[in-house]
Amino acid sequence: MTLTLTMIAASMLMSFVVRDSAELIRSKIDLVIYFRDDSVPDEKILALSNRIRTQPDIRSIEFISKQQALELFHRLPINADIKKPISTENNPLPRSLEIKTSSTADLPATVSRIAAADMEEPKIICDECLSYTKNQATVDRLVSLTRFVQQAGIGLSLFFGLIAIFNVANIIRLTIFARSDEIEIMRYVGASNAFIRAPFVIEGVMYGLLATLITTVTILIGAKLLAPALNSAFSILGIDFYAYVWQKLTVLILAQLAIGLGIGTIVSALSVRRYLRA
Amino acid sequence: MKEILRIGLPEVKPNATSQDQTPVIEFDRVDKIYNGQVALKNIDLKIYPEEFVCLVGQSGVGKTTLIKLLIKQEEPSRGLVLVAGRSLKDLRPKEVPIYRRKIGVVFQDFKLLPQQTVWENVAFALEVCGVGRSEVVKRTDKVLDLVGLNKSKRRYPEEISGGERQRTAIARALVHSPKILIADEPTGNLDPVNTLEIIELLYRINSRGTTILVATHNRGVVDRVNRRVILMKAGSIVSDQQFGKYVI
Repeated sequence: MTLTLTMIAASMLMSFVVRDSAELIRSKIDLVIYFRDDSVPDEKILALSNRIRTQPDIRSIEFISKQQALELFHRLPINADIKKPISTENNPLPRSLEIKTSSTADLPATVSRIAAADMEEPKIICDECLSYTKNQATVDRLVSLTRFVQQAGIGLSLFFGLIAIFNVANIIRLTIFARSDEIEIMRYVGASNAFIRAPFVIEGVMYGLLATLITTVTILIGAKLLAPALNSAFSILGIDFYAYVWQKLTVLILAQLAIGLGIGTIVSALSVRRYLRA
Repeated sequence: MKEILRIGLPEVKPNATSQDQTPVIEFDRVDKIYNGQVALKNIDLKIYPEEFVCLVGQSGVGKTTLIKLLIKQEEPSRGLVLVAGRSLKDLRPKEVPIYRRKIGVVFQDFKLLPQQTVWENVAFALEVCGVGRSEVVKRTDKVLDLVGLNKSKRRYPEEISGGERQRTAIARALVHSPKILIADEPTGNLDPVNTLEIIELLYRINSRGTTILVATHNRGVVDRVNRRVILMKAGSIVSDQQFGKYVI
């Protein structure tokens, strides 16, 4: 049963990670506008921002100052030696406008409209400084991956779930067999079926609780050990995997309890049932 | 054997039956068939309150099958089994344990729990029915006193004789104060002395108002008991005598 619950918990976690990553990617900016140089006044940038805001497919637009750009840079998970030379006194990072669109269906058209909004001479947007990330393709791939992970998780969970059911049923049957004399006497002297059934159901519940406890501890230890490698491999997502597991722990434990206790009690009750038929 | 059986038993009194009373046990045209094999055939039987009845016949004639129908361990293939006027077919599953508390059953192999003492084996019958602790103690002590096992109550089944084990089983069967006591070959595993003790005990229980049905193939017991004898052969009742003898 522990193996089953571990598989289910791991599948759920992977599903959560992939789904949340897809959301994260979706929420990232679609377009960034950089400017010719630091001599462009802030008022002209703000005026451009207001013109772009009125366009139909613009969801939001945010001005990032040099200081804000510096703060964002220092939050990146990169080597400190690289960050050190970049400071308030020596800040080469440019100002920018970060734009989110309501649809990424036709980003090139959106870019053209934005470029047209730059009516200044000379233009304040630097040449080839309009960049956009192809988030949509990434999101689509993540959605496919989510679906695959979920289906694989369900398949594996069902497989191990069946194994867990057989295991619990066999253990309970052995216990029943060992106590068959006692059960027989209990029936002859008029013990109710609930009274006869209760110890075996409780045994099934204990299996479920124990399996949940072991699985939870295993998941936490596994997450602690694997977190550094996973964090590094998926640094672009900005997720701390160990903290993420803690965040999802309540849901995982509840799911395990539901399945573990469900299998334990139902299988136990069914196993003892044939001994209770009058 | 004859010498032993002649002494010890109280004077025989006739069954205190009354044909006007409602039978406490009634089999109404009952058949029982297992996979095409007829175990019981057209059983018509009435047992009245406070009767002492011996059900006799060779092994395999259907005595145990009849008892199984009575304790609702099996269902009849045809006909009705009634206890205190109520058909056992009408019992709902939840009512079966309650019904079984009202009848005491004793088996040839005693069916005691080896890891429990005499006292615990008897108390077990009350504990599993949810009786409170003080009541368990009171009733267990009382019934052990009735069967004469107070001195042995802390001993385990392996430490006592066959007769004492059967008395323990009888005590457990009596602990719910049943109106009916059914004994399936209660002396089957006992020597003649213990056999006598058990029959004497059953007599005493019957004299207190409990209807007794004993299935046995012990001729000596049947002849000495000199009560109602129902003889079975090949799944049918072939004779039913008020003061019968074991005649095959």
